[in-house]
Amino acid sequence: MSAGARRTGLSTPALIGVIFGAMIMVAPLIWTLLLSFKSNADLMRDSATAFSGPYTLENYGAILQGSQVFRWLLNSAIVSLGTTAGVLILCSLAGYGFARLEFPFRRTLFVFVLLGLAIPEQAVILPRHQLFAELHLHNSYPGLILPGLVAPFGVFFMTQYFRAIPRELDEAAMLDGASRFKQFWKVLLPLTIPAQATLGVFTFLGSWNDYWWPLISATRSDRFTLTVGLASSQMNYAQTSGLGFLMAQAVFASIPILIVYIIFQKQIVRAMAGAAVR
Amino acid sequence: MTRLAFLLLAILALGGCGGGEQKTEIVIQRFFGECGAVYGQSIDVRAAESECGILTTLINRFEAENPDIRLSVNVVAWPGYPQLAAQIAAGDPPDLVTMHQSVISDYQGRGLLEPMDGVLREAGIGPQSFTAAGRLGVTKSGQTYGMPWDTIGRLFHVNTRLMAQAGLMRDGRPILPNSPEELLDHARRFRAATGKPYLIQAHVNAPDTHVGILYTYLLAQGAVIFPDARHIRLNTPEARRIVALFRQIQAEGLTTRNQDFPGATASFINGEGGIFPTGTWMIGPYDAEAATPGQPLYKSYAVLPFPHLWGRDAAFVDGHAWVMPRRDRTPAQRQALARFLRFLAAHNFDWTRTGHLPAFQAVLATPEFRALPHRADIAAMAATGAQLPDYVRRQSAIQGLIGEELEAAVTGIKPVEQALADAERRVNELLSQIL
Repeated sequence: MSAGARRTGLSTPALIGVIFGAMIMVAPLIWTLLLSFKSNADLMRDSATAFSGPYTLENYGAILQGSQVFRWLLNSAIVSLGTTAGVLILCSLAGYGFARLEFPFRRTLFVFVLLGLAIPEQAVILPRHQLFAELHLHNSYPGLILPGLVAPFGVFFMTQYFRAIPRELDEAAMLDGASRFKQFWKVLLPLTIPAQATLGVFTFLGSWNDYWWPLISATRSDRFTLTVGLASSQMNYAQTSGLGFLMAQAVFASIPILIVYIIFQKQIVRAMAGAAVR
Repeated sequence: MTRLAFLLLAILALGGCGGGEQKTEIVIQRFFGECGAVYGQSIDVRAAESECGILTTLINRFEAENPDIRLSVNVVAWPGYPQLAAQIAAGDPPDLVTMHQSVISDYQGRGLLEPMDGVLREAGIGPQSFTAAGRLGVTKSGQTYGMPWDTIGRLFHVNTRLMAQAGLMRDGRPILPNSPEELLDHARRFRAATGKPYLIQAHVNAPDTHVGILYTYLLAQGAVIFPDARHIRLNTPEARRIVALFRQIQAEGLTTRNQDFPGATASFINGEGGIFPTGTWMIGPYDAEAATPGQPLYKSYAVLPFPHLWGRDAAFVDGHAWVMPRRDRTPAQRQALARFLRFLAAHNFDWTRTGHLPAFQAVLATPEFRALPHRADIAAMAATGAQLPDYVRRQSAIQGLIGEELEAAVTGIKPVEQALADAERRVNELLSQIL
């Protein structure tokens, strides 16, 4: 057994398999990064020039000099953070309600919420667009944030997490005279932090990367999110005559996601492993 | 007295808040990318390069020359139609929008665009000032639904060094074939002399390439492609002739294979073939290569209309236009739009530096237009260029369907006749579903 295999606890063939798999996963990212540092003219002649110099920062310079790019960055941050905060608040409350409270039609309502998981966004986009138009919500932050707050998965996720917390904790708090809200706020909510982190990270990632709804709701360039704004700055045939710029845009848009990933790496890995709900 | 002075001051201050110069605002929505970093403050139109640069500078210049009008510009992701549809659905479309001429029917057919005859008249622009291709592109049901901005179409981009090697140059100009037989003969001679394919083609994920060729040569043969708004006629001897020729070119290895558009572009730039049939929009990048010492295309580039293989000279073209979505506008806004359109029309030459052909007859004849590289060679397309009948809707979707079938036919996956029959059936199904 090799040193690497000993350190990871994997057999040598398994380690080779994992390294091979990782290389396949990482290759497109490295390819994207290399392309982003090449001039568009070089890439139009041959994209394989990405493997050799000279490299340049001109594509990143072009993005940063874009007249509205920081505005789009701010819009994306507001929308993503607003959506994440809203989802966490609503899903925590709903999860607690479904897990701990008794009220008429609780089960029916829970099933009704879960049905939302089966309805694709495409099926509701037209009525939603019309509704938001009636309410004059297009080209506004609420218009971009509100649809993201409908999170049946989040409700399900938090309900399951609250259900896994022993009821004895509620009872002990009740004996100490804590109100229902205090039980929720002081006793149970702190215990759901791992689930909150997981749900928050996924909501933030989904909202940051969202393209379709911002594309049709934010039609004024000062309301574009980063994904829509960067797409608008591309010229036609960008994949031919502006490949470096295109790839630099992809890298640039990924940087905040990368930062979020680095900060919340543990929670993301736990969520992926299905370990958050315990 | 002091009280009175304060009162007067307050009235003056309030007047200052509400008064000042009243600007008329119109919302312009366009694609072509965003380049505010380079051209955000520039008003020097002649110094600007690229579609984005020239248009941005034109808009800046107009605002500088018309301080009473404010242009609020939305730059949308290409081609911008999802946003436009959403804006129309929300009841808040922009005042003026860039639109492909082939798309106008989709919006006009649903009553979503305003006829522009009135505003153009106010701008002093008559349809007779448009080129033939431009006029066809914006005239729907007898009315003018846009101001044409250019004509775009496909051309033969030629590597003259390789053509000379194959003996296919005369007096410094490429010799293009005059019949299908001659095309095959040239292609074989070219391959024998250079060891390279005569044609460079984007066969993968490029339906518009095949459709451009098919439509062009169907128009050349006088074929009626769309007899009415609900039917296409593709399984015909004329169409079979065209597709069979390109199938043979592929089968004999006289063209590049398995390339998408970026791949085909790289092949052409690197001198890996003789002729690349692609759009007017690539003239600029190829010219830049032809002007760069050491590049395979250096001093070896020419561009010409598609050769005359059957019937008459023809070219299937499209173009960009400025259209007005239907909405309420004040008389001041209409007047501002008319002034902006007049300004754009007066600067149509500047736009032709992008490689596109002008939409105004007067520009075609100017010495400065003809002095631009290759423009004299391709100017004829502004007259020969033809579009599909104004009743044909969903042209982009139709191109996708036909392109898939043609790709299959040319690469030998399907027999030519079956591919054309399938294309005809699929398009007719689509047309039957349009409300």
